[in-house]
Amino acid sequence: MIAGRGLRFARTAARYTVLLLVALFFLLPIWWLLVASIRPTAETFRSSSEFGLATLWPSVVTFDHYARVFAGVLPRAVANSLFVALSTVVAGILVCSLAGFAFAVFEFPLKRPLFALVLLTFMMPFESIVIPLYVLIRALEWSNTYWALILPEVASGLVIFLFRQFFAGIPKELYEAARVDGASWFQIWWRLTLPLSGPVVAAGALVLFVHQWDAFFWPLVAAPSAELVTVQVAIARNVTLEVANWGELFASASTAILVAMIPFLLLQRWYVRTVGLASER
Amino acid sequence: MPAAPAPRSSSPSGFRVPLVVAFAFLAPALGLLFLFRVVPIAIALFGSLTGTKLTGETVFVGLANFRALVEDPSFWRSLEVTLVFNLVVNPLQIVCALALALLVRRPTRFVPAFRTAYIAPMTVSIALTSVLWAILLEPTAGPVNGLLRALGFAPQPFFRSEDQALASLVLLASWKGVGYWMLFLLAGLLRIPEELHEAAAIDGAGPLARFFRITLPLLRRPLGFVFVADTTANFLLFAPVYVITHGGPNGATSLLMFEAYQAAFTYLDQGRSLAISVLVLAILAATVTLQLRLFRERG
Repeated sequence: MIAGRGLRFARTAARYTVLLLVALFFLLPIWWLLVASIRPTAETFRSSSEFGLATLWPSVVTFDHYARVFAGVLPRAVANSLFVALSTVVAGILVCSLAGFAFAVFEFPLKRPLFALVLLTFMMPFESIVIPLYVLIRALEWSNTYWALILPEVASGLVIFLFRQFFAGIPKELYEAARVDGASWFQIWWRLTLPLSGPVVAAGALVLFVHQWDAFFWPLVAAPSAELVTVQVAIARNVTLEVANWGELFASASTAILVAMIPFLLLQRWYVRTVGLASER
Repeated sequence: MPAAPAPRSSSPSGFRVPLVVAFAFLAPALGLLFLFRVVPIAIALFGSLTGTKLTGETVFVGLANFRALVEDPSFWRSLEVTLVFNLVVNPLQIVCALALALLVRRPTRFVPAFRTAYIAPMTVSIALTSVLWAILLEPTAGPVNGLLRALGFAPQPFFRSEDQALASLVLLASWKGVGYWMLFLLAGLLRIPEELHEAAAIDGAGPLARFFRITLPLLRRPLGFVFVADTTANFLLFAPVYVITHGGPNGATSLLMFEAYQAAFTYLDQGRSLAISVLVLAILAATVTLQLRLFRERG
C-alpha cells in the first residue's frame, strides 16, 4: 500500500519533471530574447558567456534599444506588414466564404473537380511556387507593389475548405425558408450565413493574418524596396552577427513577436478547434 | 434580372441555381487560385525548358537546364543534403510531437499551461526563429555555449561547422515545429473514447499493447495529415539557410529551396531556378501521394 503510493508519487514527479524541462526548452529562448531587448547589450553578452541566473534576469533595465528601433525603419515595416496582413484577412474572408458557400449550398457543373482543385492547392504550400510566381509578377510589372504582397494570398484552399464544411452543416430548411421570403442568394450569404460563422471567420482570419505577418520568402523576392519592406524582411535580411547593434536586433525581433502574439492569444481557441477538426478529414 | 425562381431543392447535394449565380460566388476565389497557383506551375514547367541568351531574349532549350543540373555536383550535394535533412527531421518531429501529445493528454493540474508553453514558438515566425537561434547558437557569445560551459561541457561550433550545421538546422526546425504538430495529434488523441482504454485494460492489455492496438490505429488520420504537412514544410525550408548559413559551411546546409533562390537571384539563371522548382514540385507531389496512400488505405 505504502509502496504503491510511493511509486505513484515518483511517477507523477517524473512526469512533471519532463513536462517542465520541455517547457523550458520552448520558453527560455523567447524569454532570453525578450530580456535581452530591455538590458544593455554588454550585459547580455557578459551574462551569456558565463551562464547563470543573470543570463535570464536583467540587473539593469533600459528601453534605449526600443527608442532607437522606433526612430528607424521598423515603424514603417510594422505598418506595411499590418496593412498587408489586415487587407488579406478582409479580402480573404469575403472571397473564401463566397466560394465555400457555393461549394456547400449550390449544385453546378464541374463542382467536384473544382473542389478537388481547391483541396490540391491546400496541400501544396505557397513556398513551392515562389520562384515561378515571381516570374509572373515581374511579367505583370507588379514587383514592389502592395498588390504583389496581398493578392496571391487572398484565396486560401484551407479557408475555403473550412467555410464549406461549416456552411454544409447548416440545415437546408433555413436556406429554403429564406428563399421563400424572397431573399437573394447574395443576401442569404451576407445576412444569414456569414454572421453565423463566427468560429470559422476567427480561425480563417488567424490563418491568413499569421501567414502574412510571418511571410519571409515571398516578400523578400517580390517587394524588397525600402517603402514596401515588411517586418520579417526588415529584421532578417541584414542580420550580420558581427555588427554591434544586437540590442536593436533584439528589440525589433521582440516587437515582431509581441505583435504576432495578440491575434494568437485572442483567436487561438477557435484555431485549435476548427483547424484541428479539419485535419481529421 | 436574376429574380430567381422559387426555391427548389432538386438534388440532395445542393440547390440548382442559374450558372451566373454560381459563377459570381466562385469567380473571385477560383480566379485568384488559377492565376496565382495554376499559372505559376505552368510557368515553372515551360520556363524550365527555356534559357536566356546574352542578348536578353528567351529561347527554347529543351531539357538543357535539367541536363546541366544532373551534371552539376553542387546540385547533387544540395539534393543529398535536402533528403538527409528530411529523413532525419520529419520522423524526429513526429515522434517528439506524439510523445508530447501523450504527455499532456490527461488534463491534470498545470497541464493546460504546459500545452500553451509548447505551442509558444508558433508566435515566432520562421525568419525570427532563424535570427533567434543564430544568436543562441553563436559559438563565442551565445548563451547555449555558455550553458554548456557551466555544465562542464566543451563549447560547440554549431552552424560554423560542416559536421554540426545540419544538425543545428534540425534543432531549429524542431523547436519551431514540434509544438504545432503536437496540436493536431492531441486533438486526435482527445477524440479517442476513454472507455476503449478502460475495456482493454480490464482485458489485461498493458500500456504498450494499448498504445499499439488502440491509440496508434485510431490516430491514423491526424498522423497522416501531420506527416504530409510536416514533410512539405520541411522540404521547402528556406529562411534559416538564407539568414544563418547561406548554404555553408562547404554546402552542408544547401537545401533545395535555397539553391533555387540562388539560381534565380544570385546567378540570374531563370531556367535553372525554374528547373529546380519543377523538381521540388515533383518530389512534393510524389511524397504527398505516397504518404496519403500509406495512411488512408491501411485498415
